[in-house]
Amino acid sequence: MRARRPVSDQSSDAELLRAIAGGDTAALRLLHHRHAGWLRARLRRRCADPDVVDAAIQDTFVAVWKDSHRYEETTADAAAWLWTIAVRRLLSALRGPAHRWLNGAGDELPDVTTTPSAEELVLLGVEHGALGPALDRLSPELRRLIEATALDGLSVREAAKLLGIPEGTAKTRLMRARIRLRELLT
Amino acid sequence: MTTVTLQGLGKRYGTTTALDAVDLSIGVGVTGLLGPNGAGKTTLLRCLATALGPDSGTIRVHGLDPAVAAQRTEVRRRIGYLPQNPGLYPNFTAYALLDYVAVLKEITDTRQRRAEVRRVLDEVELTDRAKTKVRKLSGGMRQRLGLAQALLGDPELVILDEPTVGLDPEQRMLFRALISRLGERRTVLLSTHQTEDVGALCERVVVMSGGRVVFEGGPRDLAQVAEGQVWLSETPPQGNAAYWRNADGFYRTLGRRPDGAEPARPSIEDGYLLLLGNVAVTEAIR
Amino acid sequence: MTTDWHIDPGLIEQYENGTLVPSRVMAVEAHMLSCAACRALIPAEDAWLDDSWSAVYDELHAPRVGPVARLLTRAGLPGHRLRLLTATPALRWSWVLATSAVLTLAVAAAWFGREGSQAIGQAFLALAPILPVIAVSGAYGPPADPMHEITGTTPAAGPGLVLWRAVSVIGVAVVMAGVAAVLLPGPGWYAAAWLLPALLLSTGTLALATSLTLPVAAVVLGALWLTGVLVVARTAEGLFVSSVFGPTAQLAYLLAAAVFAAVLITRRRRFDLGESR
Repeated sequence: MRARRPVSDQSSDAELLRAIAGGDTAALRLLHHRHAGWLRARLRRRCADPDVVDAAIQDTFVAVWKDSHRYEETTADAAAWLWTIAVRRLLSALRGPAHRWLNGAGDELPDVTTTPSAEELVLLGVEHGALGPALDRLSPELRRLIEATALDGLSVREAAKLLGIPEGTAKTRLMRARIRLRELLT
Repeated sequence: MTTVTLQGLGKRYGTTTALDAVDLSIGVGVTGLLGPNGAGKTTLLRCLATALGPDSGTIRVHGLDPAVAAQRTEVRRRIGYLPQNPGLYPNFTAYALLDYVAVLKEITDTRQRRAEVRRVLDEVELTDRAKTKVRKLSGGMRQRLGLAQALLGDPELVILDEPTVGLDPEQRMLFRALISRLGERRTVLLSTHQTEDVGALCERVVVMSGGRVVFEGGPRDLAQVAEGQVWLSETPPQGNAAYWRNADGFYRTLGRRPDGAEPARPSIEDGYLLLLGNVAVTEAIR
Repeated sequence: MTTDWHIDPGLIEQYENGTLVPSRVMAVEAHMLSCAACRALIPAEDAWLDDSWSAVYDELHAPRVGPVARLLTRAGLPGHRLRLLTATPALRWSWVLATSAVLTLAVAAAWFGREGSQAIGQAFLALAPILPVIAVSGAYGPPADPMHEITGTTPAAGPGLVLWRAVSVIGVAVVMAGVAAVLLPGPGWYAAAWLLPALLLSTGTLALATSLTLPVAAVVLGALWLTGVLVVARTAEGLFVSSVFGPTAQLAYLLAAAVFAAVLITRRRRFDLGESR
């Protein structure tokens, strides 16, 4: 019935997504098994409730099934695309009153970067340059805003919602964070 | 181990006798019920599946008596049944259909029921078709879906009425593989009028004719019935014996030895045809 | 752009238990997005993966719960019971729509043709009791239910299932006819006068179905009722409503319905396919 080559463990994410767009459940299963693990690890750092995280991951793959045709419209890497979906699913799950974001030294916010080179830049800066220490010295509230926007790919508005602060405050803080980072890096 | 025991089972429709004092016991493994149309196979299976009450005789399934209302429900918990015309709702998706039958089989907890539906879908290799409506499934897939519903609730006794009818060779192969896997730890009783099915997957054969059991044994024993009565010759035999020309150009005769014929190794089909008697033989090869 | 820096197991462990400094966390996450090999190092237990996948699979494949079903579930009807009822052949939308279309037409006709409304009201009284009977004929068994043979050999089969389905179908039909009855012009008591005859015919059909099939039983009783009504209408034209729907008649319907109910209860086992007969 289906002329397409059957998907396997060896198929690339893009191939899987194309098969998923064609209604192939087996491809969705492969994609799920390939990505659910790291998505969970990353979401768990943003939400302490494992049930909410699990639900967000399930929602993510249900959304992938329904929206897989949208994937090809973007040029994003599949992992980045999945993360975009996952973090927004978590966000919407967390809008309810009962849950809270993790606070503390090790937490960040959703990220969705559609340009991998930007991540690589961050990475290089953190690992090999002065950016790492600078980020560590940034106050948590400023850092979390940087993370939410630069790394998790949220808009300032979404980031503000996430952190529970007004959008205007978020904008000012982000500006302060940039100035502070520049100071720390020079 | 014996799962099913039938004693003196009788059933009439008006003046027609469908079952005539059938005695039978069946154990774990695949048992094939072989016979021409009208031999009583379906009636026997329906009685066993509790779709029909017999007129006389007794049925015991795991020692339970389906004639007693209370025990009948218990019997139903232990059987899976695929009728000849399952009539699966055409507008249901495969998943919804199984979900519905699972409810009928008393799997009321939603989580448990879904897990069970997924399990049987996987077993018949329809996981990828769960969202397809029954009417859009191919014949083979529909038949596998029928098998899947029989397997819900993990029954110990699986009753399949003509499960391989209308399947193309590839689908039939797949179906046989499924059935023989079932027979590893369950009692599977299937009816067929194809001797190949019997040879390919049944450990035991029961041949029925005119509402009676005329043979019971292994497939090899059935072939053995024709021992010394199958002949190959280079020229057509004289007289009105039943014969046909095989692929190698020899004439194969059942019954008395024609002049100049050599004995041949009997097949299951030979035994079956001989059992049914000369009338059936001539009809079957015509 | 690639780097030769990769995440090692020690780093993953620190990442997972949250002992990593923020900048390293960011580095790990940034790297994870671009490196499939490092993503694959993040452990996920098989059991968790299976559960998570099963939830996704069910979400995509399990039948949707409609608004009516949700309402009924909230009202206390368990989901599995609902499944049984929604598979009732006579409860399909096509049947519900057809019935309501007929009733809407009747109501519309009565309102627009005011002068004939008396006749339509009486015709409604005569025909409304048949509605549940038609409905119940498609509630169970052949030929309405093609899956009858499978349904009938499951542990849920038997009189219980037949009655559940019959009652739900009759209930829906009665509600629909009831709405139409209230909307019809004419004396107010018309709206309720057909209820007892409907009860009688429904229980009668079910009682008769212990010997005949449901559709045959429905046809027999429906025809009997219609003939009776016609005969009365012919012979005593002016007294039609008072004789067929008057207090005496209503009492008789109630008593007869009770008799049928008793028959139904004593013979209910006959609904089971596996009974010898």
